[in-house]
Amino acid sequence: MAKEMIAMLLAGGQGSRLYALTEKLAKPAVPFGGKYRIIDFPLSNCVNSEIDTVGILTQYQPLVLNEYIGNGQPWDLDRLYGGVHVLPPYQKASGSDWYKGTANAIYQNISFIERYDPQYVIILSGDQICKQNYSDFLKFHKEKNAEFSVAVMEVPWEEASRFGLMVADEDDRITEFQEKPKDPKSNLASMGIYIFNWDILKKYLEEDEADPESDNDFGKNIIPNLLKDNRRMYAHHFSGYWKDVGTISSLWEANMEILDPEHSGINLFDEDWKIYSRNSGMTGHKISDGAVVENSMITDGCRIKGTVKHSILFAGVKVEKGAVLEDAVVMGGTVIKAGAVVKHCIVAENVTIGENAVVGAMPAGEENGVATVGAGVVIGNNAKVGPNAMVKNNVEGGEEVW
Amino acid sequence: MVNSNTSALGIIFPNSYDTLVPDLVNVRLMASIPFASRYRLIDFILSSMTHCGIDNISVLVNNNYHSLMDHLDSGREWDLVRKNGGLHIFPPFAEKSAKPYTGRVTALANILDFLRDEKEKYVVMTDTNVVVNFDFSDMIRAHIESGADVTVAYNQQELPEGLMKSLSNDQGYYYTFDMEDGRITKIYVNAKDSGVQNFSMNFYVVERELLIDLVNTAFVRGQEFFERDVLLPRLNKLNVRGYKYDGYVARICDMKSYFDENMKLLDEYNLDALFSGSQIYTKIRDDNPTRYIEGAKARNVMVADGCVIEGDVEDSVLFRGVKVAKGAKVKNCILMQDSVVEAGANIEYLIMDKNVTITAGKEMKGTGSFPVYIDKFQVV
Repeated sequence: MAKEMIAMLLAGGQGSRLYALTEKLAKPAVPFGGKYRIIDFPLSNCVNSEIDTVGILTQYQPLVLNEYIGNGQPWDLDRLYGGVHVLPPYQKASGSDWYKGTANAIYQNISFIERYDPQYVIILSGDQICKQNYSDFLKFHKEKNAEFSVAVMEVPWEEASRFGLMVADEDDRITEFQEKPKDPKSNLASMGIYIFNWDILKKYLEEDEADPESDNDFGKNIIPNLLKDNRRMYAHHFSGYWKDVGTISSLWEANMEILDPEHSGINLFDEDWKIYSRNSGMTGHKISDGAVVENSMITDGCRIKGTVKHSILFAGVKVEKGAVLEDAVVMGGTVIKAGAVVKHCIVAENVTIGENAVVGAMPAGEENGVATVGAGVVIGNNAKVGPNAMVKNNVEGGEEVW
Repeated sequence: MVNSNTSALGIIFPNSYDTLVPDLVNVRLMASIPFASRYRLIDFILSSMTHCGIDNISVLVNNNYHSLMDHLDSGREWDLVRKNGGLHIFPPFAEKSAKPYTGRVTALANILDFLRDEKEKYVVMTDTNVVVNFDFSDMIRAHIESGADVTVAYNQQELPEGLMKSLSNDQGYYYTFDMEDGRITKIYVNAKDSGVQNFSMNFYVVERELLIDLVNTAFVRGQEFFERDVLLPRLNKLNVRGYKYDGYVARICDMKSYFDENMKLLDEYNLDALFSGSQIYTKIRDDNPTRYIEGAKARNVMVADGCVIEGDVEDSVLFRGVKVAKGAKVKNCILMQDSVVEAGANIEYLIMDKNVTITAGKEMKGTGSFPVYIDKFQVV
């Protein structure tokens, strides 16, 4: 039986701009928003949009991601026919290849797609925080009788030159594509989410593969080739919350924005569009007498005895007496010992921050760095981690890192 | 089955002691009573069993079991979706003479054919009103080493007042016993003695073949109760031994003890004692983390995911999806799933069942010795 549309999720990105956070895991597996990982968003969007077949293309540090996805049950993607499949590069009779580019990753999995004989394929990216209804997107694609559609966001004109831009006519038909241009002719930024008619996608993937000069990339090769051939290409306007969390500061910002759903636009408290994740299974969190919790998100397993202001705590974080957190993103299993001061920073999983240690600082003047502490790091008592520090290794007691 | 000599199947009686908490079981049964901010009572037994490799578990439901069916579903959250074994739910078999089970014997008699077909050598039987993180493997080991015919877990404590008051002989039974070198020499039914007693937890280990025999014999004679009718008269023939449990035990004996046992978990010592063993699984709801909005105050509370707190909460247990609006005050309360306390309301010593709403500005107070219970879906 054919599927109308299946999803291919590009999750191979190394996320090198997240530095210490992606040392041991791929970017889509980076924890987000108290109990999620980034990939929960596209996966939940899929299942909420009634897409039940998702291929996840992995390449860089896939261990955590593979284990996290498992059989897809948390997202209701454990299906008899379809469901979620992790697709790493593999060896073939005629040799093997890493995924050379985004287009090549899909090319190497043509046989996976053909098993489902879909009419449409949606290409998703595993590094965005966004709640999007892909079935609305498909409806648009069909209404326009398009061969290719791309989701676009209006961005402020002054920032437009940072994006890949779609120039479209009044019918939303794309006439030109500009990749990070100096003089933008449009402020419609591509979100990197595409719907293709499968026959068209397959044809262009094969042609692209045959071109030895190609970078095998959707933005650089496939889209320009479609334009050259005057294909029916349309831009689908998306106006909800969308954030590329490719950098430390954007990841921190996106986390902070959850604390203000009334203004920032991302609402995780939406019964009609739940974001699913693999749950920690810990007990309810405990806030002790004498603790202060203000404007924060706290999840299962946390034990709070200190002060937590405007912060996001993941499962099982312990904040001891006298410790102070502000504007902090603290990932699962981390322990913040008595008297430590942790501000304006991202602390990864299973970190120990010693007594009276200082991590990060509130912005002062030009100085607004987000201190980052990598997974499993031990910060000694009385140590100091400056606001621009990126800590991957243990910091001895009393030591200072800037 | 790789190791069938030590393997055991589990049997749970989810309706036992329902009469102790009539309000809470109005639309459910003992096993599905919410507990400790995100669990149901049966989660503790089920999780303890699966952690000990007991993955063939039968739940002998009697009445009011829709909420339990909904909670257990296929058993996946406890890893009980198995080709061999897994989770079985046995309601009373519907025939002309069908009656709800009166005691363990009648319930077990209903599944004798099933028991005969199974492969496990031992059977572990429990109720659900005793909340423990229990090591059944150790109890089975003790059972085998001692050569007992039947092993009963017990703890040493004073008999709860609520139990002595509320259980008259026609409502149900609890058991205490005398022992000599670990062997139970006397079983007392509904004793009223003061002081520390050997107090049965009603967890049993018995060989499957022997259980089938005992139940068969008793059932043919029209007997109903395993302890009173089967064990008690045979104490000189059967080697019935006690297995002393020293771990954390929370017993639900009446509304007051339900309230107290929840509140006791606000003490981290107790919380760790109950949860530091193996993980307790429960149904996943995929709630977002709990949000404390500007102006919220929280002191000494246990809170599950999915809550939005804007008011003042103190000394309370909040289940999943509870909303406490601005200016509301919540003290010494148990607020079950999705209950709402609207702006400016002021509540103390309440047990609010699921989906209860306290409307804006209302004041409502119980007392420590008499917490007020509000039924599901009520709007105050």
